[in-house]
Amino acid sequence: MITDVVFRSLKSRSQLVPVEELLNACAGSRMPEIVPDRLTSQIAATVAEICPTGAITVETQNDSGLSLRLDYGKCIGCGRCVDQGQGAIRLAERFTRCGGVSREGLVRTWQAGSGAEEDRPLPPDSARDQIYALLGRALNIRQLDPGSCNGCEAEITALTNPYYDLERFGIHFVASPKHADMLLVTGPITRNMATAARKTLEAVPAPRLVVAVGACGCSGGIFYPGESHDHGAGTNSEIAGPVDALLPVDGYIPGCPPTPAMLVTGILAVLRRSRR
Amino acid sequence: MNLKLANDRLDSAIALRETFAQFDPARPSPARLVSIFGSKEKDGVNLHYLADVPGTGYREFQYRVEGSVPSLTSVTPAASWHEREIHDQYQVDFDGHPALLPLLRHGQAIDDAQFLKVQGKGVCEVPVGPVHAGIIEPGHFRFSVIGDTVLHLQLRLFYTHKGTEKLFEGSPATEASPIAESVSGDNCFAHAVAYCQAVEEIFQVAVPAKANALRLVGLEIERLLAHIGDFGALCGDVAFSVPAAYCARIKEDLLQASIKFIGTRYWRGIAIPGGLQREIPATSVREFQAIVRTAAEDFFGIAEQALNTPSLQDRFEGAGVLAPAVAADLAVVGPVARACGSKFDVRRNHPYGEYKNLNLDVPTLHYGDVMARARIRVEEARVSVRLILDALQALPEGPIRAPLSGFASGQAFAAVESPRGELMYWLQLQEGRITRCHLRSPSFQNWPALPLAVAGNIIADFPLINKSFNLSYSGCDR
Repeated sequence: MITDVVFRSLKSRSQLVPVEELLNACAGSRMPEIVPDRLTSQIAATVAEICPTGAITVETQNDSGLSLRLDYGKCIGCGRCVDQGQGAIRLAERFTRCGGVSREGLVRTWQAGSGAEEDRPLPPDSARDQIYALLGRALNIRQLDPGSCNGCEAEITALTNPYYDLERFGIHFVASPKHADMLLVTGPITRNMATAARKTLEAVPAPRLVVAVGACGCSGGIFYPGESHDHGAGTNSEIAGPVDALLPVDGYIPGCPPTPAMLVTGILAVLRRSRR
Repeated sequence: MNLKLANDRLDSAIALRETFAQFDPARPSPARLVSIFGSKEKDGVNLHYLADVPGTGYREFQYRVEGSVPSLTSVTPAASWHEREIHDQYQVDFDGHPALLPLLRHGQAIDDAQFLKVQGKGVCEVPVGPVHAGIIEPGHFRFSVIGDTVLHLQLRLFYTHKGTEKLFEGSPATEASPIAESVSGDNCFAHAVAYCQAVEEIFQVAVPAKANALRLVGLEIERLLAHIGDFGALCGDVAFSVPAAYCARIKEDLLQASIKFIGTRYWRGIAIPGGLQREIPATSVREFQAIVRTAAEDFFGIAEQALNTPSLQDRFEGAGVLAPAVAADLAVVGPVARACGSKFDVRRNHPYGEYKNLNLDVPTLHYGDVMARARIRVEEARVSVRLILDALQALPEGPIRAPLSGFASGQAFAAVESPRGELMYWLQLQEGRITRCHLRSPSFQNWPALPLAVAGNIIADFPLINKSFNLSYSGCDR
């Protein structure tokens, strides 16, 4: 009976995760990070070779030798670098690069010899203050899947469960792009979805935010091998590109798929940046 | 997995006749079509027919395309989409196919000529999608309705077609499991295991006992997650939000347990050819069992209460009935088929890995409505819980990875019972690199049955019926 169901739910305790625990957490995402003092040129070269999406690359600096470049927007968390990295690469526990507001914001670089991280300043944000000024913390999100594998969808759906309850931040998922302030776009954009993706963006009233979600959304991920890598033999003609190839993107949330905590952190980070 | 090639391809016509005879509905027990696909050879295109022949098991029939090929669709309607796909990929003409329209490469604009026009007084058309309302994948549905009642529904999918099979080609077989994991994200472990089994077959590698046992745990956890999630979503679709939130909470409990014990929520990156990348530490097995037990108790409690609620029964019962004859014609698989009388389950009919050592109980229901599809999920979840607890209880000692040596060549085929049903990978390797990979997801097989379950229902019940099938768009579109 319906009353049994309601009584049952009243007896169960709250599962809500406090926001402090959510922000920057990335457990279960399998995102790697570098252990600075253990990184050698040898290890850097090995892991760059085995990375299936070209997320790890090695760059030669003029005077200071090799540096390892890790693009979280391409990383699918396959764990090969952790496996082969001889302790120089581990799974990240906290993750401060969720929700970069620029594509470059997802890239970190380490000196191979010393392991020191090179500080690259993030490029300035574009003007996205309007949403915050207009809406405070209330935000309506329309999720758009132009070709994802549904891994990101599963995690976005989890945002509404009693652990994360995105609505407590004033954030709602809406059914129509016409009601949305933010388009949360997962997956690479397939050739078959290119027109529909453009039309969906057009239906979102300005001012609006577009956020690319997941390795595929940020870079095309495993479906869109870049020129730099030989595994996939060039580009994939069924894919039109990562989200920013077709739509103007205001924020990026990496991960394969990003965990709900990374999504919360990312969405709030994009909003916070918009406030300035 | 047992794979038999047609030994001597003497004559295409003879091979073809033999193949078609297997599916002949006049036979006492005709074969079930598993898949049809093409492969490009040096001097032409080969067609591969995979069948599940009663009494024999999985069989493969191959022959070379010469001119146009007679269509199998009139013998077994399940062949329709497969033939349209081959037509798109290899420009093979199928004689006698009722509508050889583009399937994968339908272009972006919606061309009305591709849809059957239902005409008559009071009939109107309701186009939906490809972008749907909600957190869901894309696909276009065209309803012809009279009042509230759906007369006819047509699907136009393959919006998320990513050329995944092509993407496998050229990759070393030992490294391509991340591609398999990205076919359908919520069934990623089943895809990875099916792919790995095909590779292991070609490399002739025996997977260590511990890896097989943990693969079973992963596969059943995935099924449990899917069924709990689906049951909750079904409740949500009839606006019964308490059980919906409850199921979402239980699912999240299990996902967090997976993070804690194996480092990933959906078991991504765990299965690799030869075994597993990581294992559940022996010290955590008890704790993991306890979490599964609590989750199961909670789920079966809420499911029973929800199913006994009259307002839910009123919506679930009699909605979206799939007739057993239709399911058989379209070779429907998985819980959808088992909710309307089928007893087929890969785990029992063609056991693999750890399932070879089990005597599996496969629940079957007969009504074929939304209620049956909801109940079958609860019943299957019960079986999964028992399998997980038993496997963890008797976890063997030893390694979790067997090395793959050399550069194997050959063809192999592997099938796994994913949460949505029979999932199969067919793989061809040349010196360790993939030259062709075909995967047939259960969703590809089940999508054509949905319109037949929807016809005659009111359009407002479509989301519920669709959810009760819970098919993956990406798994189907690839």
